[in-house]
Amino acid sequence: MNLGIDEYTDLDSPFHRWDPRYKIIGLITLVFAFSFIRDLRMLLAVAIATITIYGISRLPAGYIVKRFRYPSFFLLAIVLSLPFLSGEHVLMSIGPIALRQEGLLATILIATRFSCILIVGMILLGTTPLLTNIKAVRTLGIPDIMADMALLAFRYLQEIGRDLRNMQTSMRLRGFKERRFSPRGLKTLAWLSGSLLIYSYERSESIYKAMVLRGYGQAPPRQSEFQANKKDALILVAIILTAAGFIIGDLMLGHSTSTLLQ
Amino acid sequence: MHIPDGILPLSVTGSGYAATALTTWYSIRKIRQKEDPRQDIPKASLLTAAFFVASWIHIPVPPTSVHLVLNGLLGALLGYYAFPAILIGLFFQAIMFGHGGLTTLGVNAMIMGLPALIAHHIFRLRKWRNGDSQRKTGAFGFLSGVVATGISVAMFVIILLTNLPAEINVVSERAAIYALAIAHIPVIFIEGTVTALVTMFIRKVRSGILDGV
Repeated sequence: MNLGIDEYTDLDSPFHRWDPRYKIIGLITLVFAFSFIRDLRMLLAVAIATITIYGISRLPAGYIVKRFRYPSFFLLAIVLSLPFLSGEHVLMSIGPIALRQEGLLATILIATRFSCILIVGMILLGTTPLLTNIKAVRTLGIPDIMADMALLAFRYLQEIGRDLRNMQTSMRLRGFKERRFSPRGLKTLAWLSGSLLIYSYERSESIYKAMVLRGYGQAPPRQSEFQANKKDALILVAIILTAAGFIIGDLMLGHSTSTLLQ
Repeated sequence: MHIPDGILPLSVTGSGYAATALTTWYSIRKIRQKEDPRQDIPKASLLTAAFFVASWIHIPVPPTSVHLVLNGLLGALLGYYAFPAILIGLFFQAIMFGHGGLTTLGVNAMIMGLPALIAHHIFRLRKWRNGDSQRKTGAFGFLSGVVATGISVAMFVIILLTNLPAEINVVSERAAIYALAIAHIPVIFIEGTVTALVTMFIRKVRSGILDGV
Protein backbone atom coordinates (compact mmCIF):
# COMPACT_ATOMS: atom_id res chain seq x y z
CA MET A 1 0.00 0.00 0.00
CA ASN A 2 1.61 3.23 -1.14
CA LEU A 3 0.02 6.11 0.74
CA GLY A 4 1.85 8.70 -1.41
CA ILE A 5 1.18 11.59 0.99
CA ASP A 6 4.74 12.86 1.26
CA GLU A 7 5.53 12.49 -2.45
CA TYR A 8 6.13 16.21 -3.15
CA THR A 9 7.27 17.52 0.23
CA ASP A 10 10.87 17.92 -0.94
CA LEU A 11 10.02 20.52 -3.62
CA ASP A 12 10.92 24.17 -3.07
CA SER A 13 8.22 26.88 -2.79
CA PRO A 14 7.14 29.52 -0.27
CA PHE A 15 4.64 26.99 1.12
CA HIS A 16 7.34 24.31 1.47
CA ARG A 17 9.56 26.79 3.35
CA TRP A 18 6.77 28.17 5.56
CA ASP A 19 6.94 27.19 9.25
CA PRO A 20 4.53 24.20 9.61
CA ARG A 21 2.89 25.63 12.75
CA TYR A 22 2.03 28.91 11.01
CA LYS A 23 0.98 27.02 7.89
CA ILE A 24 -1.50 24.88 9.86
CA ILE A 25 -3.04 27.95 11.56
CA GLY A 26 -3.18 29.99 8.35
CA LEU A 27 -4.54 27.38 5.96
CA ILE A 28 -7.06 25.94 8.44
CA THR A 29 -8.38 29.49 8.98
CA LEU A 30 -8.64 29.86 5.20
CA VAL A 31 -10.63 26.62 4.69
CA PHE A 32 -13.05 27.59 7.45
CA ALA A 33 -13.53 30.97 5.75
CA PHE A 34 -14.27 29.07 2.51
CA SER A 35 -16.97 27.05 4.26
CA PHE A 36 -18.66 30.34 5.27
CA ILE A 37 -19.07 31.63 1.69
CA ARG A 38 -22.54 31.53 0.10
CA ASP A 39 -22.46 34.31 -2.49
CA LEU A 40 -21.60 33.04 -5.98
CA ARG A 41 -19.42 36.10 -6.81
CA MET A 42 -17.33 35.52 -3.70
CA LEU A 43 -17.19 31.86 -4.66
CA LEU A 44 -15.50 32.87 -7.91
CA ALA A 45 -12.95 34.91 -5.90
CA VAL A 46 -12.36 31.87 -3.66
CA ALA A 47 -11.74 29.66 -6.71
CA ILE A 48 -9.26 32.18 -8.17
CA ALA A 49 -7.43 32.47 -4.82
CA THR A 50 -7.25 28.68 -4.53
CA ILE A 51 -5.80 28.26 -8.04
CA THR A 52 -3.29 31.08 -7.36
CA ILE A 53 -1.96 29.60 -4.11
CA TYR A 54 -1.86 26.13 -5.65
CA GLY A 55 0.30 27.61 -8.43
CA ILE A 56 2.58 29.22 -5.83
CA SER A 57 2.94 25.88 -4.01
CA ARG A 58 4.48 24.33 -7.19
CA LEU A 59 2.66 21.06 -6.56
CA PRO A 60 2.04 19.31 -9.90
CA ALA A 61 -1.44 19.24 -11.46
CA GLY A 62 -1.30 15.42 -11.41
CA TYR A 63 -1.35 15.55 -7.60
CA ILE A 64 -4.85 17.08 -7.71
CA VAL A 65 -6.05 14.49 -10.25
CA LYS A 66 -4.77 11.67 -8.03
CA ARG A 67 -6.53 13.04 -4.93
CA PHE A 68 -9.80 13.67 -6.80
CA ARG A 69 -9.80 10.07 -8.03
CA TYR A 70 -11.50 9.00 -4.80
CA PRO A 71 -14.10 11.71 -4.38
CA SER A 72 -16.86 10.94 -1.99
CA PHE A 73 -19.59 8.96 -3.78
CA PHE A 74 -21.89 10.58 -1.37
CA LEU A 75 -20.93 14.04 -2.69
CA LEU A 76 -21.51 12.74 -6.20
CA ALA A 77 -25.00 11.61 -5.15
CA ILE A 78 -25.76 15.09 -3.81
CA VAL A 79 -24.46 16.81 -6.94
CA LEU A 80 -26.56 14.51 -9.13
CA SER A 81 -29.77 14.73 -7.11
CA LEU A 82 -29.99 18.23 -5.59
CA PRO A 83 -30.66 20.16 -8.86
CA PHE A 84 -33.72 17.95 -9.41
CA LEU A 85 -35.06 17.82 -5.84
CA SER A 86 -34.61 21.29 -4.40
CA GLY A 87 -36.30 24.56 -5.35
CA GLU A 88 -39.41 25.92 -7.00
CA HIS A 89 -38.18 27.68 -10.19
CA VAL A 90 -38.01 25.10 -12.96
CA LEU A 91 -35.34 25.89 -15.56
CA MET A 92 -36.16 23.01 -17.89
CA SER A 93 -37.98 19.71 -17.69
CA ILE A 94 -37.96 16.41 -19.53
CA GLY A 95 -41.00 14.34 -18.61
CA PRO A 96 -41.22 14.02 -14.82
CA ILE A 97 -37.61 15.23 -14.32
CA ALA A 98 -37.24 18.98 -13.73
CA LEU A 99 -34.02 20.95 -13.37
CA ARG A 100 -34.53 23.51 -10.60
CA GLN A 101 -32.69 26.82 -10.23
CA GLU A 102 -32.21 26.83 -6.44
CA GLY A 103 -30.96 23.25 -6.42
CA LEU A 104 -28.54 23.99 -9.24
CA LEU A 105 -27.11 27.02 -7.38
CA ALA A 106 -26.75 24.96 -4.21
CA THR A 107 -24.93 22.27 -6.18
CA ILE A 108 -22.49 24.83 -7.65
CA LEU A 109 -21.91 26.18 -4.13
CA ILE A 110 -21.25 22.72 -2.64
CA ALA A 111 -19.02 21.49 -5.49
CA THR A 112 -16.90 24.68 -5.57
CA ARG A 113 -16.47 24.88 -1.79
CA PHE A 114 -15.62 21.16 -1.67
CA SER A 115 -12.98 21.45 -4.42
CA CYS A 116 -11.37 24.61 -3.00
CA ILE A 117 -11.20 23.21 0.56
CA LEU A 118 -9.76 19.93 -0.73
CA ILE A 119 -7.09 21.74 -2.78
CA VAL A 120 -6.03 23.98 0.13
CA GLY A 121 -5.92 20.86 2.33
CA MET A 122 -3.65 19.26 -0.26
CA ILE A 123 -1.32 22.28 -0.10
CA LEU A 124 -1.24 21.99 3.69
CA LEU A 125 -0.45 18.28 3.66
CA GLY A 126 1.48 18.07 0.41
CA THR A 127 4.15 20.62 1.27
CA THR A 128 5.19 19.26 4.69
CA PRO A 129 5.83 15.61 5.66
CA LEU A 130 2.93 14.22 7.69
CA LEU A 131 5.17 13.36 10.65
CA THR A 132 6.41 16.99 10.77
CA ASN A 133 2.79 18.17 10.67
CA ILE A 134 1.90 15.92 13.61
CA LYS A 135 4.92 17.27 15.57
CA ALA A 136 3.83 20.83 14.69
CA VAL A 137 0.30 20.14 15.93
CA ARG A 138 1.79 18.81 19.17
CA THR A 139 3.63 22.12 19.72
CA LEU A 140 0.32 23.92 19.10
CA GLY A 141 -1.12 22.19 22.15
CA ILE A 142 -2.81 18.91 21.22
CA PRO A 143 -2.45 16.39 24.07
CA ASP A 144 0.64 14.13 24.04
CA ILE A 145 -1.57 11.03 24.09
CA MET A 146 -3.19 12.09 20.78
CA ALA A 147 0.12 12.98 19.14
CA ASP A 148 1.76 9.70 20.24
CA MET A 149 -1.22 7.70 19.01
CA ALA A 150 -1.24 9.47 15.62
CA LEU A 151 2.53 8.97 15.14
CA LEU A 152 2.40 5.27 16.07
CA ALA A 153 -0.77 4.54 14.09
CA PHE A 154 0.72 6.18 10.99
CA ARG A 155 3.99 4.30 11.49
CA TYR A 156 2.25 0.89 11.47
CA LEU A 157 -0.52 1.58 8.95
CA GLN A 158 1.41 0.27 5.96
CA GLU A 159 2.60 -2.86 7.79
CA ILE A 160 -0.89 -3.77 8.99
CA GLY A 161 -2.20 -3.09 5.47
CA ARG A 162 0.38 -5.58 4.20
CA ASP A 163 -0.72 -8.12 6.84
CA LEU A 164 -4.32 -7.81 5.62
CA ARG A 165 -3.29 -8.32 1.99
CA ASN A 166 -1.29 -11.44 2.91
CA MET A 167 -4.21 -12.86 4.92
CA GLN A 168 -6.64 -12.22 2.06
CA THR A 169 -4.28 -13.91 -0.41
CA SER A 170 -4.02 -16.94 1.90
CA MET A 171 -7.82 -17.12 2.14
CA ARG A 172 -8.21 -17.02 -1.63
CA LEU A 173 -5.54 -19.70 -2.07
CA ARG A 174 -7.60 -21.89 0.27
CA GLY A 175 -10.69 -21.38 -1.92
CA PHE A 176 -12.51 -18.51 -0.14
CA LYS A 177 -14.70 -16.45 -2.49
CA GLU A 178 -15.88 -13.01 -1.36
CA ARG A 179 -18.44 -12.52 -4.12
CA ARG A 180 -21.60 -13.89 -2.50
CA PHE A 181 -23.17 -13.05 0.85
CA SER A 182 -23.52 -15.99 3.21
CA PRO A 183 -23.56 -16.35 7.02
CA ARG A 184 -20.45 -18.53 6.75
CA GLY A 185 -18.67 -15.95 4.59
CA LEU A 186 -19.59 -13.21 7.09
CA LYS A 187 -18.18 -15.31 9.92
CA THR A 188 -14.93 -15.84 7.98
CA LEU A 189 -14.59 -12.11 7.28
CA ALA A 190 -15.30 -11.32 10.95
CA TRP A 191 -12.55 -13.75 11.98
CA LEU A 192 -10.25 -12.10 9.47
CA SER A 193 -10.88 -8.75 11.22
CA GLY A 194 -10.42 -10.42 14.62
CA SER A 195 -7.11 -12.03 13.56
CA LEU A 196 -5.86 -8.66 12.31
CA LEU A 197 -6.75 -7.04 15.65
CA ILE A 198 -5.13 -9.81 17.70
CA TYR A 199 -1.99 -9.76 15.58
CA SER A 200 -1.74 -5.97 15.99
CA TYR A 201 -2.35 -6.24 19.74
CA GLU A 202 0.42 -8.80 20.14
CA ARG A 203 2.79 -6.66 18.12
CA SER A 204 1.95 -3.62 20.32
CA GLU A 205 3.15 -5.46 23.43
CA SER A 206 6.67 -5.89 22.06
CA ILE A 207 6.63 -2.33 20.68
CA TYR A 208 5.79 -0.99 24.15
CA LYS A 209 8.68 -2.93 25.71
CA ALA A 210 11.07 -1.60 23.04
CA MET A 211 9.79 1.96 23.63
CA VAL A 212 10.31 1.68 27.40
CA LEU A 213 13.87 0.37 26.83
CA ARG A 214 14.53 3.49 24.72
CA GLY A 215 13.29 5.73 27.56
CA TYR A 216 9.69 6.35 26.51
CA GLY A 217 7.94 8.46 29.14
CA GLN A 218 11.20 9.16 31.03
CA ALA A 219 13.04 11.69 28.87
CA PRO A 220 12.54 15.43 29.56
CA PRO A 221 10.48 17.25 26.90
CA ARG A 222 12.60 18.18 23.91
CA GLN A 223 13.03 21.72 22.64
CA SER A 224 10.78 22.60 19.73
CA GLU A 225 12.44 21.84 16.38
CA PHE A 226 10.57 24.71 14.72
CA GLN A 227 11.85 28.26 14.45
CA ALA A 228 9.74 30.92 12.80
CA ASN A 229 11.03 34.17 11.34
CA LYS A 230 9.40 37.46 10.35
CA LYS A 231 8.58 36.20 6.87
CA ASP A 232 6.59 33.27 8.31
CA ALA A 233 4.59 35.68 10.46
CA LEU A 234 3.95 38.02 7.50
CA ILE A 235 2.62 35.18 5.33
CA LEU A 236 0.33 34.14 8.21
CA VAL A 237 -1.01 37.70 8.55
CA ALA A 238 -1.59 37.88 4.77
CA ILE A 239 -3.52 34.58 4.74
CA ILE A 240 -5.64 35.53 7.77
CA LEU A 241 -6.45 38.93 6.21
CA THR A 242 -7.46 37.13 2.98
CA ALA A 243 -9.74 34.79 4.96
CA ALA A 244 -11.27 37.78 6.80
CA GLY A 245 -11.68 39.57 3.45
CA PHE A 246 -13.69 36.64 2.06
CA ILE A 247 -16.00 36.60 5.07
CA ILE A 248 -16.53 40.38 5.09
CA GLY A 249 -17.05 40.42 1.30
CA ASP A 250 -19.63 37.64 1.52
CA LEU A 251 -21.53 39.42 4.30
CA MET A 252 -21.52 42.67 2.32
CA LEU A 253 -22.89 40.88 -0.74
CA GLY A 254 -25.76 39.35 1.21
CA HIS A 255 -24.38 35.93 2.33
CA SER A 256 -26.81 34.01 0.10
CA THR A 257 -26.74 32.02 -3.14
CA SER A 258 -29.95 33.69 -4.26
CA THR A 259 -28.68 37.30 -4.07
CA LEU A 260 -27.83 37.27 -7.76
CA LEU A 261 -31.37 36.22 -8.67
CA GLN A 262 -33.15 39.03 -6.84
CA MET B 1 -21.21 8.02 6.37
CA HIS B 2 -18.57 10.74 6.15
CA ILE B 3 -19.85 14.25 5.45
CA PRO B 4 -17.47 15.89 2.95
CA ASP B 5 -16.22 19.48 2.92
CA GLY B 6 -18.33 22.19 1.34
CA ILE B 7 -21.80 21.08 2.46
CA LEU B 8 -22.14 22.21 6.06
CA PRO B 9 -22.15 25.88 7.11
CA LEU B 10 -19.42 27.34 9.31
CA SER B 11 -21.70 27.40 12.38
CA VAL B 12 -22.13 23.60 12.20
CA THR B 13 -18.51 22.74 11.38
CA GLY B 14 -17.35 25.09 14.17
CA SER B 15 -19.79 23.53 16.65
CA GLY B 16 -18.58 20.08 15.55
CA TYR B 17 -14.99 21.03 16.38
CA ALA B 18 -16.05 22.50 19.75
CA ALA B 19 -18.01 19.34 20.67
CA THR B 20 -15.10 17.15 19.52
CA ALA B 21 -12.60 19.16 21.59
CA LEU B 22 -14.83 18.76 24.65
CA THR B 23 -15.32 15.00 24.12
CA THR B 24 -11.59 14.48 23.45
CA TRP B 25 -10.75 16.39 26.64
CA TYR B 26 -13.21 14.21 28.60
CA SER B 27 -11.86 10.96 27.05
CA ILE B 28 -8.24 11.92 27.78
CA ARG B 29 -9.18 12.90 31.34
CA LYS B 30 -10.64 9.41 31.79
CA ILE B 31 -7.55 7.80 30.21
CA ARG B 32 -5.21 9.77 32.52
CA GLN B 33 -7.05 8.41 35.55
CA LYS B 34 -5.44 5.02 34.81
CA GLU B 35 -2.36 4.03 36.78
CA ASP B 36 -0.02 4.23 33.77
CA PRO B 37 -1.88 5.80 30.84
CA ARG B 38 1.17 5.55 28.54
CA GLN B 39 1.19 1.76 28.81
CA ASP B 40 -1.95 1.46 26.71
CA ILE B 41 -0.88 3.94 24.01
CA PRO B 42 0.90 1.39 21.74
CA LYS B 43 -2.07 -0.98 22.06
CA ALA B 44 -4.58 1.78 21.25
CA SER B 45 -2.41 3.09 18.37
CA LEU B 46 -1.93 -0.26 16.69
CA LEU B 47 -5.58 -1.15 17.14
CA THR B 48 -6.43 2.27 15.61
CA ALA B 49 -4.31 1.37 12.58
CA ALA B 50 -5.83 -2.15 12.49
CA PHE B 51 -9.38 -0.76 12.62
CA PHE B 52 -8.50 1.65 9.83
CA VAL B 53 -7.21 -1.26 7.73
CA ALA B 54 -10.11 -3.58 8.71
CA SER B 55 -12.57 -0.99 7.39
CA TRP B 56 -11.21 -1.81 3.90
CA ILE B 57 -12.69 -5.32 4.15
CA HIS B 58 -15.75 -5.36 1.94
CA ILE B 59 -18.78 -7.46 2.81
CA PRO B 60 -20.74 -8.54 -0.28
CA VAL B 61 -24.36 -7.31 -0.11
CA PRO B 62 -25.67 -7.99 -3.63
CA PRO B 63 -25.85 -6.12 -5.95
CA THR B 64 -23.07 -4.14 -4.24
CA SER B 65 -20.70 -4.48 -1.27
CA VAL B 66 -20.35 -2.48 1.93
CA HIS B 67 -17.34 -1.68 4.05
CA LEU B 68 -17.54 -1.85 7.81
CA VAL B 69 -17.70 1.22 10.07
CA LEU B 70 -16.67 -0.74 13.19
CA ASN B 71 -17.26 2.13 15.62
CA GLY B 72 -19.22 -0.19 17.95
CA LEU B 73 -16.33 -2.67 17.98
CA LEU B 74 -13.86 0.17 18.55
CA GLY B 75 -15.84 1.37 21.55
CA ALA B 76 -16.15 -2.18 22.89
CA LEU B 77 -12.41 -2.92 22.65
CA LEU B 78 -10.77 0.45 23.28
CA GLY B 79 -13.06 2.10 25.82
CA TYR B 80 -12.22 5.80 26.21
CA TYR B 81 -9.34 5.47 23.72
CA ALA B 82 -12.02 4.94 21.04
CA PHE B 83 -12.79 8.64 20.62
CA PRO B 84 -9.18 9.81 19.97
CA ALA B 85 -8.72 6.68 17.80
CA ILE B 86 -11.72 7.59 15.65
CA LEU B 87 -10.57 11.20 15.38
CA ILE B 88 -7.14 10.06 14.17
CA GLY B 89 -8.64 7.48 11.80
CA LEU B 90 -10.99 10.06 10.27
CA PHE B 91 -8.09 12.50 9.84
CA PHE B 92 -6.09 9.86 7.96
CA GLN B 93 -9.10 8.95 5.81
CA ALA B 94 -9.66 12.61 4.94
CA ILE B 95 -6.07 13.27 3.91
CA MET B 96 -5.34 9.94 2.21
CA PHE B 97 -8.57 9.19 0.39
CA GLY B 98 -10.64 12.38 0.51
CA HIS B 99 -13.33 10.62 2.58
CA GLY B 100 -14.84 13.20 4.90
CA GLY B 101 -12.94 16.47 5.10
CA LEU B 102 -10.84 18.85 7.15
CA THR B 103 -13.64 21.30 8.01
CA THR B 104 -16.09 18.46 8.74
CA LEU B 105 -13.61 16.45 10.83
CA GLY B 106 -15.24 17.60 14.09
CA VAL B 107 -18.78 16.77 12.95
CA ASN B 108 -17.74 13.37 11.55
CA ALA B 109 -15.83 12.59 14.76
CA MET B 110 -19.01 13.24 16.77
CA ILE B 111 -21.11 11.12 14.37
CA MET B 112 -18.75 8.15 14.73
CA GLY B 113 -17.14 8.75 18.13
CA LEU B 114 -20.03 9.52 20.44
CA PRO B 115 -21.85 6.25 19.56
CA ALA B 116 -18.53 4.41 20.11
CA LEU B 117 -18.42 5.68 23.70
CA ILE B 118 -22.05 4.59 24.18
CA ALA B 119 -21.09 1.16 22.74
CA HIS B 120 -18.26 0.95 25.31
CA HIS B 121 -20.74 1.34 28.16
CA ILE B 122 -23.17 -1.15 26.61
CA PHE B 123 -20.40 -3.74 26.19
CA ARG B 124 -19.33 -3.35 29.80
CA LEU B 125 -22.81 -4.49 30.89
CA ARG B 126 -21.82 -8.06 29.94
CA LYS B 127 -19.95 -8.28 33.27
CA TRP B 128 -23.07 -7.37 35.22
CA ARG B 129 -24.23 -10.32 37.38
CA ASN B 130 -22.03 -13.44 37.39
CA GLY B 131 -19.31 -12.00 35.11
CA ASP B 132 -19.13 -12.45 31.37
CA SER B 133 -19.57 -15.58 29.29
CA GLN B 134 -19.16 -16.38 25.61
CA ARG B 135 -22.90 -15.96 25.05
CA LYS B 136 -23.10 -12.66 26.94
CA THR B 137 -20.06 -11.34 25.08
CA GLY B 138 -21.80 -12.14 21.78
CA ALA B 139 -25.13 -10.63 22.84
CA PHE B 140 -23.64 -7.39 24.19
CA GLY B 141 -21.21 -7.23 21.27
CA PHE B 142 -24.16 -7.41 18.88
CA LEU B 143 -26.02 -4.74 20.84
CA SER B 144 -22.94 -2.46 20.86
CA GLY B 145 -22.54 -2.75 17.08
CA VAL B 146 -26.23 -2.22 16.31
CA VAL B 147 -26.70 0.72 18.69
CA ALA B 148 -23.46 2.48 17.64
CA THR B 149 -24.12 2.17 13.91
CA GLY B 150 -27.82 3.00 14.34
CA ILE B 151 -27.04 6.21 16.26
CA SER B 152 -24.34 7.14 13.71
CA VAL B 153 -26.79 6.70 10.81
CA ALA B 154 -29.46 8.77 12.60
CA MET B 155 -26.98 11.59 13.42
CA PHE B 156 -25.60 11.55 9.87
CA VAL B 157 -29.04 11.77 8.22
CA ILE B 158 -30.34 14.49 10.56
CA ILE B 159 -27.21 16.68 10.39
CA LEU B 160 -27.02 16.34 6.63
CA LEU B 161 -30.63 16.97 5.71
CA THR B 162 -31.13 19.87 8.11
CA ASN B 163 -28.01 21.66 6.90
CA LEU B 164 -28.04 21.33 3.11
CA PRO B 165 -27.59 24.82 1.59
CA ALA B 166 -30.90 24.40 -0.28
CA GLU B 167 -34.53 24.14 0.66
CA ILE B 168 -35.98 20.69 0.11
CA ASN B 169 -39.74 20.39 0.50
CA VAL B 170 -41.04 18.46 3.48
CA VAL B 171 -42.26 15.48 1.45
CA SER B 172 -38.91 15.05 -0.36
CA GLU B 173 -37.01 15.50 2.91
CA ARG B 174 -39.10 12.83 4.65
CA ALA B 175 -38.70 10.50 1.65
CA ALA B 176 -34.91 11.03 1.69
CA ILE B 177 -34.73 10.30 5.44
CA TYR B 178 -36.75 7.07 5.05
CA ALA B 179 -34.73 6.00 1.99
CA LEU B 180 -31.38 6.59 3.72
CA ALA B 181 -32.57 4.88 6.92
CA ILE B 182 -33.94 1.83 5.06
CA ALA B 183 -30.78 1.56 2.94
CA HIS B 184 -28.71 1.38 6.13
CA ILE B 185 -30.77 -1.29 7.97
CA PRO B 186 -28.78 -4.24 6.49
CA VAL B 187 -25.53 -2.41 7.30
CA ILE B 188 -26.63 -1.90 10.94
CA PHE B 189 -27.34 -5.62 11.36
CA ILE B 190 -24.14 -6.67 9.59
CA GLU B 191 -22.18 -4.34 11.92
CA GLY B 192 -23.92 -5.88 14.94
CA THR B 193 -23.22 -9.43 13.75
CA VAL B 194 -19.56 -8.70 12.93
CA THR B 195 -19.06 -6.99 16.31
CA ALA B 196 -20.56 -10.03 18.06
CA LEU B 197 -18.46 -12.51 16.05
CA VAL B 198 -15.21 -10.56 16.53
CA THR B 199 -15.67 -10.06 20.28
CA MET B 200 -16.51 -13.78 20.73
CA PHE B 201 -13.49 -14.73 18.59
CA ILE B 202 -11.18 -12.47 20.63
CA ARG B 203 -12.56 -13.79 23.92
CA LYS B 204 -11.82 -17.33 22.77
CA VAL B 205 -8.37 -16.71 21.28
CA ARG B 206 -6.90 -13.82 23.30
CA SER B 207 -9.23 -12.94 26.18
CA GLY B 208 -6.62 -10.58 27.68
CA ILE B 209 -7.61 -7.92 25.14
CA LEU B 210 -11.07 -7.72 26.73
CA ASP B 211 -9.80 -7.60 30.32
CA GLY B 212 -9.45 -3.84 30.53
CA VAL B 213 -12.90 -3.13 29.09
